[in-house]
Amino acid sequence: MSNSLTLENISRNFGALKVLQDVAAQFTGGKITALVGDNGAGKSTLLKIMAGALAPTSGTIKLNDEEIAGLNPAHHRARGIEMVYQDLALAKQHHVAANIFLGREIACPLTGLLKTKEMRAQTEALLEQTGIKIPQLDRPVGALSGGQQQAIAIARALLVPPKVLLLDEPTAALAAKEVDMVLDILRQQREKGLIIILVSHRLNDVLAISDNIITLKHGRIFNDRKTADTNLAEIVQDIVS
Amino acid sequence: MFANKPLIQCALFLVLLCAVFSFATPYFLSLDNMMSILSAGAVIGLLAVGATFVIAAGGIDLSCAGVMALASVVTAYALKNMGVTNPAVAFLLAGLTGAFIGGLTGALINVTRAPSFIITLGMMSIARALALILAGGIPIYGLAENITALGQGRVFGMPAAVLFLLGGFVLAGYLLGFTRFGRHILAFGDSAMAAHATGIRTNLLKLKTFALAGFFSGIAGFVFMARTNSGDPSAGMGYELMAITAVILGGANLFGGRAHLLGTFMGVLCLGVLQNGLTLLAISTFYQVLFVGIVLLLSAFLRRFSARAS
Repeated sequence: MSNSLTLENISRNFGALKVLQDVAAQFTGGKITALVGDNGAGKSTLLKIMAGALAPTSGTIKLNDEEIAGLNPAHHRARGIEMVYQDLALAKQHHVAANIFLGREIACPLTGLLKTKEMRAQTEALLEQTGIKIPQLDRPVGALSGGQQQAIAIARALLVPPKVLLLDEPTAALAAKEVDMVLDILRQQREKGLIIILVSHRLNDVLAISDNIITLKHGRIFNDRKTADTNLAEIVQDIVS
Repeated sequence: MFANKPLIQCALFLVLLCAVFSFATPYFLSLDNMMSILSAGAVIGLLAVGATFVIAAGGIDLSCAGVMALASVVTAYALKNMGVTNPAVAFLLAGLTGAFIGGLTGALINVTRAPSFIITLGMMSIARALALILAGGIPIYGLAENITALGQGRVFGMPAAVLFLLGGFVLAGYLLGFTRFGRHILAFGDSAMAAHATGIRTNLLKLKTFALAGFFSGIAGFVFMARTNSGDPSAGMGYELMAITAVILGGANLFGGRAHLLGTFMGVLCLGVLQNGLTLLAISTFYQVLFVGIVLLLSAFLRRFSARAS
C-alpha cells in the first residue's frame, strides 16, 4: 500500500506574524511534490513542521492515518520522515561515514565502543546503491564539493529507508552537472515509492523533477497543479500574481 | 588527513622543547625529572581533560579551577569534620561535587541560552566564593595519611598523582574518541544544527558535557588536596587558562568540533616541560608566564600559517 502524509489545517505563528494559515494537503508515495512561492510564503516553515524541527501552532500531521505527535526531529525520523536542510546540517570537520551515521551510530551495547568499520562498510554500500561517487571517504565533509555534500546529506536521509523525504532547496547552490546527480537520486527514490516533498526556487528543476507543484502565498495554498499540465509561465504567474 | 596536522605540530613542538632543555641542562633528561613533570602537571592535566570536552562541544569553561577549589574544600571538610575516612568515598565526593556544579552550569546554559563564557565566568566566582565560605577563608589542613598518600605517595614506583592523570586521560580518550557520546559532542561542536537535525538531544548533551567536565575538575581538586594536604579555597588561581592553553596547544579547535585527548596530553606536557626546563635553568617564574603566552601565540600563528598553506 502506498504511504500517505496528510496535513490538516496547519498554522504557525511567530508572535503576531501568521506564517502559515490552515494549510491542508495530502501527499502520496511515488510522487514528487514541489512547494514554490515567493520569499516569506511559508515553504521552509511548512517543511520544518513536517520534519518536526518546528511545532505547528495548530493543526495535525498524519502519516498513514496515524497522527504524529512530538516536537523534535528524532521523533519524526523514528517514524520515517527525513529532511535534508538547505544548509545541509552536516558536521563539516567530520568524515563521510560520521555524517551519514550522525545520531544513528552503531556501537557495541556492552562497551559503547563505536563500530567504525561496520559504519564505513555500510556507508560504502549506501553510496553505491544511490549512485553517489565520493572517492575519499576519510576526508572531512567540508573539503568536498557542494554537490558531494548535498549527496551526502541525501544519503544520510536514506540510511534507514524513510517513508517521506523532505528537501529544502536541494539544488540551490549546485552546478549543472551536480544538479543532474541530485535529480537522478530523487527520481530513483520516487521509483521506490517514497513521498518526496521539496522546496525550490529553481523552477526549471522543479518542472524537470516534480509530479505536482503547490504554490504557497502568504502562508496559504494558492494553487496545486499537476506538472504535466502546466508550464513555467503559469507557475511564475501563480507566484507573482 | 588534515585533522591530525595540529596534533603532529604539537608532538614536534614537544620534541623540540625536550631537545632544547636536554642540551641546556643535564638535569632535564632523567626519569625522576620526567615523573616530576607529570606529577606537577597532574592537576592542570585533569582540568584540561574536562576543558577538552567543553571545547570539543564548542564551549568554554572558565569555572574549572574554581570548581576544583570547591571540590577540594568540600572533600577536606568532609574528611576533617564529617567522619569520612575512606579514600574512595572522598574521591567520589570530590568528583560528584564537581559534576554537580558542572551539571548546574550546563543547565543554566540551556535555560538562559547565554554563551558558556558568561555562565562559567559567573560559576567561577560562585564556586570560589562557596569554597571560601565553607573553609572560612583559610585552607583546611591536616588530612589523614591514607589520603595524602594518594597525592604524595607512589604506586609501583610511579607517583600516585600521575596514575590519576593517566587514568583520567585514558577514560576521557575512550569517551571522546570511541563512543557515541564523544562523537555527538564533537558533532555538536562542529555544527549544533547538524546535531539537532539528526535527533541528538542537544540540551541533554550540553548538560552531560559540563557535568563530565565538572567531574574531572572535582578529581583535579581531590588530587590537589591529596598533594598539598589541604582543601584550599584559593587553589588553582589562573589554572583554567593553563588548562585551556593545553587543550589549544594540543590541536583542538577553540570553536568546537575537533579535539584530541592525546593532543591535550601533549599540550599539558608542553606546558610542564616548559615550566620545568625554565625552572632548572633558574629562570624567574615571571618569565615562565611570559613564555607560556608566547608559546600559545606561536601555536596560533603556526596553525593559521599551515591552514593557509594547505
